[in-house]
Amino acid sequence: MKDDPRKKITLMVTLIILIILFVLKPYAIIYGVQRGSLYALVAIPLALTLGIVGILNLAHGDFLTLGAYLSYWFFTSLGLDPTVSIVLIVPLMFAIGAGLYKLTISRVLKAPLLNQLLLTFGLAMIIEESINLIFTSRPRNIFVNYASSSVRIGKLQFGVYEFTYTLAAVGVLLFLLYFLKKTKLGKAAFAVGQNPRGARIIGINVEMIYLLIFSMSVGMVGIASALILPRMSIFPLVGAPFTLKSFCLAAMAGLGNLKGILWSGLILGIGEAVIQSIEGYSGWADIVFFGVLIVVIITRSYRGSYS
Amino acid sequence: MKGRKWIYILIALMAGFLLPFYVGPYPLGIMTNVFTYMALGLSWDMMLRAGQLSFGTSGFFGLGGYTALLTTLYLGLDPLLSIFVGGIFSALVAFVLGYIILRLRGIYFAITTLALAGVFTVIARNLHDFTGGPEGKILPTTIFDGNPTYIYWLTFSIALGTILVSELFQRTKIRFAITAMRNDEITAQSSGIDIFKYLLFVFVITSAIQGIVGGAYAQQYGFVSPESTFSSNFLLLPIAMCLTGGIYSTLGPIIGSIILGILSEYLKLRFPYGHLLIYGIIIVVIVLLMPRGILGFLKSFRYRFSKGGETG
Repeated sequence: MKDDPRKKITLMVTLIILIILFVLKPYAIIYGVQRGSLYALVAIPLALTLGIVGILNLAHGDFLTLGAYLSYWFFTSLGLDPTVSIVLIVPLMFAIGAGLYKLTISRVLKAPLLNQLLLTFGLAMIIEESINLIFTSRPRNIFVNYASSSVRIGKLQFGVYEFTYTLAAVGVLLFLLYFLKKTKLGKAAFAVGQNPRGARIIGINVEMIYLLIFSMSVGMVGIASALILPRMSIFPLVGAPFTLKSFCLAAMAGLGNLKGILWSGLILGIGEAVIQSIEGYSGWADIVFFGVLIVVIITRSYRGSYS
Repeated sequence: MKGRKWIYILIALMAGFLLPFYVGPYPLGIMTNVFTYMALGLSWDMMLRAGQLSFGTSGFFGLGGYTALLTTLYLGLDPLLSIFVGGIFSALVAFVLGYIILRLRGIYFAITTLALAGVFTVIARNLHDFTGGPEGKILPTTIFDGNPTYIYWLTFSIALGTILVSELFQRTKIRFAITAMRNDEITAQSSGIDIFKYLLFVFVITSAIQGIVGGAYAQQYGFVSPESTFSSNFLLLPIAMCLTGGIYSTLGPIIGSIILGILSEYLKLRFPYGHLLIYGIIIVVIVLLMPRGILGFLKSFRYRFSKGGETG
């Protein structure tokens, strides 16, 4: 694979485009990288569940919302800093994921695809509407002064807080790669993802792996939840678009390609930021992902990867 | 037995047609809503019967609504005619999109259609001069000058037409192709069924229905806006209704939409802010406990009952 000339050409073209863009619109690249890292950070857990448990969780983005509101609640009632509250949010989200898995997801694993999709769709609605009932649709935000710190390089001045998304995305990715390739539990999970029946035959507790992976991915979304709070207004639908964008990234990277999600996230983020920086067309940034998705579908269907 | 069935259908038709003469405008409005959601639910179920879960309902509904309203506004088209233009436009868009996304199956198709309403919303919001942007557009008059009886008859006939199409799908040759595709695509393909062609056909027809329903809805209120016209209500409610009644049939969505449609009015009065939550719970509970809905439950109950009768 490393000597694939087409891959080299793609890489070169991408680099050249990036350099040109950086000269023309430096801010678009910086914001794009920040935004794209966030997309990747949210998409990696979705891809993990999709790859190993085999469930497309349509409530994925709403878990992001749920975590953000938890973090908001910790901040307002206990005065806990969002970045500190990660240590509470992640286990809490893990527990919520485990509970939901036991109560609902585990019952539809053998059911037709339709039931799985409808179930998670129903869960998404329940989370959105419950938050809407409890916190109302009024946008909430908090202020912590480190979130607005910025740095100046030459003529460019930009916020640095968002680079925590990049750090977190790379951290989560490295952790997962280590987990899946090096630890015994991770290797078992990897095996379950490849062939659940085979894994069961050799004595892996498949049910337990599913439970673990699903809860882990909900827990990982909690990291993103706490990190976005200082820089974003949150409202009941804040996470919903992330479901679609995460799926778009998973489709771009291809199933089982966790590393690819980071690159896909950066491409999507930069693409959106470039569109947003064009005057008068900023509102169109929200459908970049759909265009990307359609292009991915068409190229894949010509190559025959899907059928 | 067969003759009795036709009598029931005739009675239901007469009751549906004569309803405006017996009830006031408020119950009539509720029934208008019921028929709107019934047509949406049936069209969603028709796609489901072909084995593909589509979340595009609210998208094509809104598209039809926008088309109907804008053609009346700019071209002075007769409102009744514009509703059908809305259906045709939805069908066209479904044809072009379906040509691409129907190469996908299962989750890939489902999630791509889930994006549609959002994409259309963004387009409607950003074409300021044409669609009125975030504020939307308002017509000076509503269809039939807002006469509730005529509006009721309009949605009643749309729902009736949808039921007819749904029954045609169930009774003609198409049904075998569709059922075969749902059960096992590869076997269907090797039996000589052109899956892509059939799926595209069903997708275009159901989207046209959704467009027509959307057109009628927009003309009924004389108003479109990105958030209200592409609202996820028009996706969530039909799905909940079909699941409640029972999927893969014509009767299921009809029963479900009547039950939930009337219940939702009550819920709206009791819980003005939380009624959508209840639909979410209904979907989850039914998927988990009663995946074939009320109809499936009754069928299995009757089956068990008659079997018990034979042995006993």
